[in-house]
Amino acid sequence: MSQRKRSKGSGFSQGEEGDDECVLSQTQAFSQGPRNLERHSQEQVDQKVSELVQFLLVKDQKKIPIKRSDILKKVIGEYKDVYSEIVNRAGRTLQQVFGLQLVEIDTKHHVYILISTLPRAEGENLRQDDQTAKLGLLTVILSFIFMKGNSAKDGAVWEFLRRLRVHPGERHEVFGDVKKLVMEEFVRQKYLEISPIPLTDPMEFKFQWGPRATKETSKREMLRFVAKIQGKDPAFWTSQFKEAEGSSGPL
Amino acid sequence: MSEAGGSGDFSSPRSSGSDCSRFSLPSTSRNGAVSEHKQHRLSGGLGRPRPPASEEEEEEEEPEMVWGRPRRPESAEATGGGDERSRRMIRNQYRELIYSVQRKPGALLTCNLFFSSITVSCAREAALDAQFLVLASNLGKEKANELHSEMTAFDSPAFAEDLLTFMGLNRIEVEENSDNEGISGGYLPSNAWHKLGAETEKYFRRAPSFHYMLGSFKSDPPVPRQRIERQKKTTGREEKRAMPAQLKKMEESHQEATEKEVERILGLLQTHFKNDPDIPISFFDLVIDPNSFARTVENIFHVSFIIRDGFARLKLDEDKLPIIGKIHLTSKA
Repeated sequence: MSQRKRSKGSGFSQGEEGDDECVLSQTQAFSQGPRNLERHSQEQVDQKVSELVQFLLVKDQKKIPIKRSDILKKVIGEYKDVYSEIVNRAGRTLQQVFGLQLVEIDTKHHVYILISTLPRAEGENLRQDDQTAKLGLLTVILSFIFMKGNSAKDGAVWEFLRRLRVHPGERHEVFGDVKKLVMEEFVRQKYLEISPIPLTDPMEFKFQWGPRATKETSKREMLRFVAKIQGKDPAFWTSQFKEAEGSSGPL
Repeated sequence: MSEAGGSGDFSSPRSSGSDCSRFSLPSTSRNGAVSEHKQHRLSGGLGRPRPPASEEEEEEEEPEMVWGRPRRPESAEATGGGDERSRRMIRNQYRELIYSVQRKPGALLTCNLFFSSITVSCAREAALDAQFLVLASNLGKEKANELHSEMTAFDSPAFAEDLLTFMGLNRIEVEENSDNEGISGGYLPSNAWHKLGAETEKYFRRAPSFHYMLGSFKSDPPVPRQRIERQKKTTGREEKRAMPAQLKKMEESHQEATEKEVERILGLLQTHFKNDPDIPISFFDLVIDPNSFARTVENIFHVSFIIRDGFARLKLDEDKLPIIGKIHLTSKA
């Protein structure tokens, strides 16, 4: 038991490169060894698990990835020594109660997102709000990027959106500042990755799928979407089809 | 296939500049030993044997590009006097070349081997050369990607049209002259993107957002309280100021108001009894105002005057509900 605790502790402290306070207290706690588990009662740990579950659910509202440092600061607090147990149990609760999975999309900076493990419910009266419309726009962009070979220049993307009456310079009646939505919000949510192409003047950007997109959907699904819209079989686009079938995603 | 001129000159560009030697100048390019490599590459075309360098590999990915970099001619070696001038020219030409490639990437395909009489031997030119090489190779890589990407090309305009159709574009009123090419006319309904979004949700494993059903606890109460307090204060002040002057008047008008109301209600009762003398009025129907409790209380107050003065009678009917009945003048109740 004490050995297991030690390995957990050491693994944890190695991850905290950017969080100095954490490392300090972790080494202090680490030095105290197996007494950590006894320090907290079972009810206290249960309480922390529940708090973490609520925290994650609320933080996920805006779809901005959750940082481990925030989790530590806002929820874990003094229970840093049993951090991994709390996180694991919270993950299990999310899975068993809500069908949600806590996924680490950045193992270097320890950033998490919540995704659903269940297929989307189908029905008539499902909630439709701004998020729904934004997802429509995002899907259009993601499918365009994929069909163009997993990468597209910003000029090509905006030219395509122009055909759908979406212009970066104009205020859109549904999306408002579309350029901000695409270049900032979608990037912050990790749906898109936009990087500058070097040595281009004026500066051009490259659009690619972000890590959240790869976890929440897949190439196969995007191809299915394109096929449905165009009324064709997915196999019509042979190279994309091969690529989509080859990649194994969550779906 | 070698495009180069002097095949035998591979190892002989050493004496190109009188005041600079390729071995002694510090290199400003990426590779430490690039100046030497540059010399070798300059003296030949694609088919030449070259020392290994990272930049070399990129050259092979440029099938369509016409190699536009300066080449050392067969036998010319720049010497002495015109050297500085020619080097300046070289640098200018490099800068122009780089500039034109940045501006119009496609222009590389047409730029030509007009450097046939140039020797590049010094660090400054080599730096420009390196910059140009990076630019050219990036461009080549992009072009190469575009070449062998899709076997079945993705027709994005058709996809856009199909998307618009799915979103419910109403194409009936299509203008003959559309302002921009590629934009179809028609009216896109306001829920177009929501409709598309609802379809796309099926393709994602998005975690539903967590929101409290009844909303969050908002701190509204403090604001109305302030308003009420302010109103009370203002009315209070007005009343105090008005009171001393109008005290008598107010009492009088108050009394008058009551009497007027009583008389009004009496009038109503009398009218009713004149029309239907035998039908008693339900007390509750008379006094209760369903929209105002205060008014109801006032009504009861006024009716009580009528009853006190003997103009009407209050009694219980069969169901034990109070009714107002007429007082016959002959018998006083």
